[in-house]
Amino acid sequence: MIQLVRDAIRYHELIWALALKELKVRYKRSVLGFLWALLNPALLMLVLTAVFASIMKFPIPHYPVFLLCVLLPWTFFSQALAYGAESIVANGELIKKISLPKSVFPMAALVSNLINLLLSMIPLMLLVPILRHPFYVTWLYLPVPMLALAIFTLGAMFFFAAANVYYRDVSHILQIVLQAWFYITPVIFPLDFIPEKYRWIFKLNPLIYVVNGFRLAVYYGQLPHLQSIAASFVCAFLMLFIGYYLFRRHQNDFVFYV
Amino acid sequence: MTSSSMSKSRRIETAGAAVIHVDDVSQRFRVIHERPDTLRELFARFLRHNASYHDFDAVKNVSLDIPKGQMVGLIGRNGSGKSTLLKIIAGVYRPTKGSVQVTGSLAPLIELGAGFHSELTGRENIVLNGLLMGYSRQQMEDREDSIIEFSELGEFIDAPVKQYSSGMYSRLAFAVATEVDPDILLLDEILAVGDAPFRVKCLARIEAFRERGKTIVYVTHDMQQVRNYCDRAIFLDKGEVLADSEPEEAIRAYMTLWSPEAITTTARLSSTPV
Repeated sequence: MIQLVRDAIRYHELIWALALKELKVRYKRSVLGFLWALLNPALLMLVLTAVFASIMKFPIPHYPVFLLCVLLPWTFFSQALAYGAESIVANGELIKKISLPKSVFPMAALVSNLINLLLSMIPLMLLVPILRHPFYVTWLYLPVPMLALAIFTLGAMFFFAAANVYYRDVSHILQIVLQAWFYITPVIFPLDFIPEKYRWIFKLNPLIYVVNGFRLAVYYGQLPHLQSIAASFVCAFLMLFIGYYLFRRHQNDFVFYV
Repeated sequence: MTSSSMSKSRRIETAGAAVIHVDDVSQRFRVIHERPDTLRELFARFLRHNASYHDFDAVKNVSLDIPKGQMVGLIGRNGSGKSTLLKIIAGVYRPTKGSVQVTGSLAPLIELGAGFHSELTGRENIVLNGLLMGYSRQQMEDREDSIIEFSELGEFIDAPVKQYSSGMYSRLAFAVATEVDPDILLLDEILAVGDAPFRVKCLARIEAFRERGKTIVYVTHDMQQVRNYCDRAIFLDKGEVLADSEPEEAIRAYMTLWSPEAITTTARLSSTPV
């Protein structure tokens, strides 16, 4: 773990450059470029609001705010993980020719997706006053769940990136896993909507504490309990520990399989 | 490793302290005949119980010391382990057996333009490539102008490299790798590309490196270049060091083993019905 921090510091310029490269390539050849990072959530917001607030009539006031404050972090998680899982295989040619700590690639994927997340928060900030939803001071708390989410995501990236080197099926499996994961995360509805007897499934989800933090701060204007915050960080560091342990154990062999 | 080749490398070592120290290194590769790329294939293979692979040593029990300031040519046929040895020194492969110690900064030119991203411009790639080799952004920006000048790219430097011709591409790559002033330069047959004038420029730059006391390991099939530039040549065959000496002697060993007569004899022997 110390090694990871050391690599992150030593290669911070490279990680940053790789992250910017990724964003640049992602938005290259599109007329609107970086604006897509803002437009994407805005358009998604319109679609989902139309479906859930108007057609399905969820009895939740200011539903778009309720939804987006969790949907945006979720989108970050799933996109970052999909990118991160491919990051070693995608950089295979580089790994075969230059000696580098392999962890820079998942870290770069994390940074580029974090930038995307921050950009996508802008439409949400605009939406809050438009819907006359109160702008709570608790927004200031958001860096805390974001940090926990980033740590968790990085750990999951290490895990899937390493596994994907050996079996390319992993990235396909990951897509299914992410879909299922979405439905056991209270994104589109509050946890109260779930009948009591199924709620334990949701409670097994390590992301639930983080998600809860985002929603409490933005939508309810409250702070989560200390236990909930602690739980979110325990889950995050546990994931990082498992993922990085696996990654580090195998990273010197990646070059033979990419 | 025979004792005679060991004593040879010791004799050459006198020029200074070894900056590259390779100690009894072997690199084993597992050649999987039909690689199970997916779980389905893995299960199928598991059920049939036939793991079809063989192991081979691309580099076998190689020991060498390269002192500071020496220019060493690695010669041998295709597949003799030259590039693998270079990659082991560069730290791309961690050897299956043995150890490698490298003192000083290293610029591996295993392949020109490794790490270039086709969508980025030449200028952006200069920085990115430098960062990949472990230099700082500042160091690369300081050298940007001379890199652009050496690569003769002119205003193409702000075009994405995917629009470059292969010559432009390799000129930029060579310029980036050699402008950063590494202590050790690893070159893998890279001078085969580029037109004659640029090749002359590259060789002049390599020569300048040598004069400044840099260490160079050079893989090539051009024996004339080995004679002209290298202080020492190592002849690898099937992963083993068969000669490690002055260029002329190693080249002779290479030429004797793979002389036209020897090759025809081998061919005749192998085609003899058993």
